[in-house]
Amino acid sequence: MNSWYSSHFSSLYIENWDGEFTVFQPESGKTHFLNEMGLHILTILDGSPLRLNTICQELSVHFSLQPDTQFFGKIAQTLQRYEALGLIERVKENE
Amino acid sequence: MKVEQLSLDELRVLLAGQGLRVKMGPFNLSVQTRLPSLIHQLHQMYAHYSLADEDEIVEFHVRVIPKRSIRQPFARLIRFEVDGRSPFPPVSVEQALATLEWGVNLVIAMRINHLLLFHSAAVERNGHVLLLPAWPGSGKTTLSAMLMHRGYRLFSDEFGLMAPEIGDFFPLPRLMPLKNQSIKIIRDYLPEAILGPEIPGTLKGTVAHIRPPQESIERVDEAAQPRWIVFPKWVAGAALRLESLPQSEAFLLLATNAFNYEVLGETAFDAVTRLVRSCECRKLVYSDFDSALAALDELTDG
Amino acid sequence: MAEFKVDTRLDHHQLLLEAIIRPAVLIDYSNSQWELLLRVARRAKLLGYLAAWLEKDGLLDKIPQRAVNLLRSSLIQVKKQQQSVNWELSRILWALDGREILIIVLKGMAYQLQDLPNAAGRIFADLDLLVSKEALGQIESVLSEKGWQHHALTNYDERYYREWSHEIPALVHPERGVEVDVHHTLSSPLGNLKIDPLPFQEAAIKVEDEGVYVLSPEDMLLHCAVNLFQNNELADDLRHLLDFHEILQFFSQQQLSFQEKLINRANRLGLGRPLFYSLYFSRLLLHSSVPDQLKKRLNHQPGWLALRIMHNCVPLALLPQHPDQPSKRAELARLLLYLRSHWLRMPLYRLLPHLIYKFYLSVFPGKSARARRNG
Repeated sequence: MNSWYSSHFSSLYIENWDGEFTVFQPESGKTHFLNEMGLHILTILDGSPLRLNTICQELSVHFSLQPDTQFFGKIAQTLQRYEALGLIERVKENE
Repeated sequence: MKVEQLSLDELRVLLAGQGLRVKMGPFNLSVQTRLPSLIHQLHQMYAHYSLADEDEIVEFHVRVIPKRSIRQPFARLIRFEVDGRSPFPPVSVEQALATLEWGVNLVIAMRINHLLLFHSAAVERNGHVLLLPAWPGSGKTTLSAMLMHRGYRLFSDEFGLMAPEIGDFFPLPRLMPLKNQSIKIIRDYLPEAILGPEIPGTLKGTVAHIRPPQESIERVDEAAQPRWIVFPKWVAGAALRLESLPQSEAFLLLATNAFNYEVLGETAFDAVTRLVRSCECRKLVYSDFDSALAALDELTDG
Repeated sequence: MAEFKVDTRLDHHQLLLEAIIRPAVLIDYSNSQWELLLRVARRAKLLGYLAAWLEKDGLLDKIPQRAVNLLRSSLIQVKKQQQSVNWELSRILWALDGREILIIVLKGMAYQLQDLPNAAGRIFADLDLLVSKEALGQIESVLSEKGWQHHALTNYDERYYREWSHEIPALVHPERGVEVDVHHTLSSPLGNLKIDPLPFQEAAIKVEDEGVYVLSPEDMLLHCAVNLFQNNELADDLRHLLDFHEILQFFSQQQLSFQEKLINRANRLGLGRPLFYSLYFSRLLLHSSVPDQLKKRLNHQPGWLALRIMHNCVPLALLPQHPDQPSKRAELARLLLYLRSHWLRMPLYRLLPHLIYKFYLSVFPGKSARARRNG
């Protein structure tokens, strides 16, 4: 099982535009455009690493959603994308 | 001293010799050419520009020179050069003026990073800047040409030059290339506008340049703070709409269209954030120029 | 050793060299000197270097504002490039995901990782990596899987790269656009100078906290020398000689008898010739302090005639042309050195068809686009 955490969350510049967010990442020099859920994922990963299950649970409670398999797939995709962008890091755990 | 105070012969001597050194907004530009047609055109089109002060540094050195081609031995071609290097392939001699103007824009866009360069037209009214960012079909050149003949001061039809730390915008009034149908539109709407020759066959079709008004060029040192950002879109037959635009969208459009947003990094992120937060952001859909101008007048009246 | 006299150098060369050797003179430059210097330094890709030096010494407010604007503009651009390449390296290490591959970072990024004095303000757009021949395929496939792509090349170019040059075609991640050059040797396998990468790899030094390696100081200089006088055409390449000079000065001050170790290493690896030329020209143009008797111990020194020719040609090629009045002599010197560099890299039966093909493309550029589409 993998878990993820946002490695440099405190270094990000975040501007809130009525529920949409521009996020500047100083390490890469890139600006990312995120919606509320996109930013929330980063926020809950600031601190200790979480697994996909836990992340989806947190999100469904926060946004009052029914998590289904599609939702899991979407979040897994987002995590992969964030990882490629260097916004979060993956921690490999022993099975 | 202004270019119009030079006789054609004096201008020719400068252009063919050490270079015509003119003040172009916050920059100085040196132009060299021996092409008779281009010398004539510059005599008219550059008339209002001031010569750079004797001892001042000139930032950009460009040349338009004849070019022989092995592939087209009989074509009359010219080449645009900056510091002895040419960024474009040669073009026909008729396109000299258009190539010179694009070339200078390119050099500014490639070399300047102490200012944030938005891809946007900018005009000033009541002491504040109205930005008209470029996007496909914006008609920003046509629109700013009309505005500058209706009492707005032209900053630029191409560059929003912003000092990122203080937020001031700087004028850079250069020749404005009207394309295809806009040439006739401007001739009909603004018979008083001074237009250069119609240049067919460029990459962007037929182009004719409009000369910025004297006042815009004379007040080139007067910077101003921005207040309105209007994203224009010309749609055939559309009724006029001037509606507010979400700030996040304004940020996205401005940042992705700027020439050097990525290069300036954090500075640019902060500057665009402050710019968008401090301005009124609108989207303008129009087909008829009179009503568009009236709407912009009303917006900028206060 | 007797050195030839430097011929009366051109004004614009002097403006640039003075500025590099003693940047404090810059505060006394007149506006017209600045105007020419800015153009010449841009051509030599040294605007950022000058800007970084002036910034470090707090002299930016003592020079004309228009010069400051252009210098700052270049420095901002350079810093962005450095950040991009740095980030690219971090993405590559992420993509490799802990695989045990020994990666040696070369050139610009290596200077930056070690914070060498020539790194500040230095332009570089590419990331150069050295790996073993065996690891090459693995890196190529891992990066391709994670979204990096080869530049679109014509079939001809692709073959040239893989068979006759020492590189695989550059890899680029389309979202970031930084070129990654993965090498498995330091010089062309076909040139008359064979370089075995193994001793370089064995002597490489681990960079703290980065998981990558850089060449040892001696090897870094030898690599720089090989690039200048073996792999390169030398045109407008003063900045690489400046790299050599700065790195040499830096380690000479850090380590006792560094230069002796450098000479021994060059002799052992058979790289006396390019090192000789690098020492010779960095002393001639940039006033590096290198004792005479030291250079004498180098093997493979050029003969009197070869040195005479190089002495006359190399400065004219390294130093930028005047932007308005290019000299014919410098053009000739550059042509000779261009031919020399290809001569050194390729056997003649390969070289002539290659040069003819390149010339053909320069006259008929449309053909290459067509070849690319069909390829």
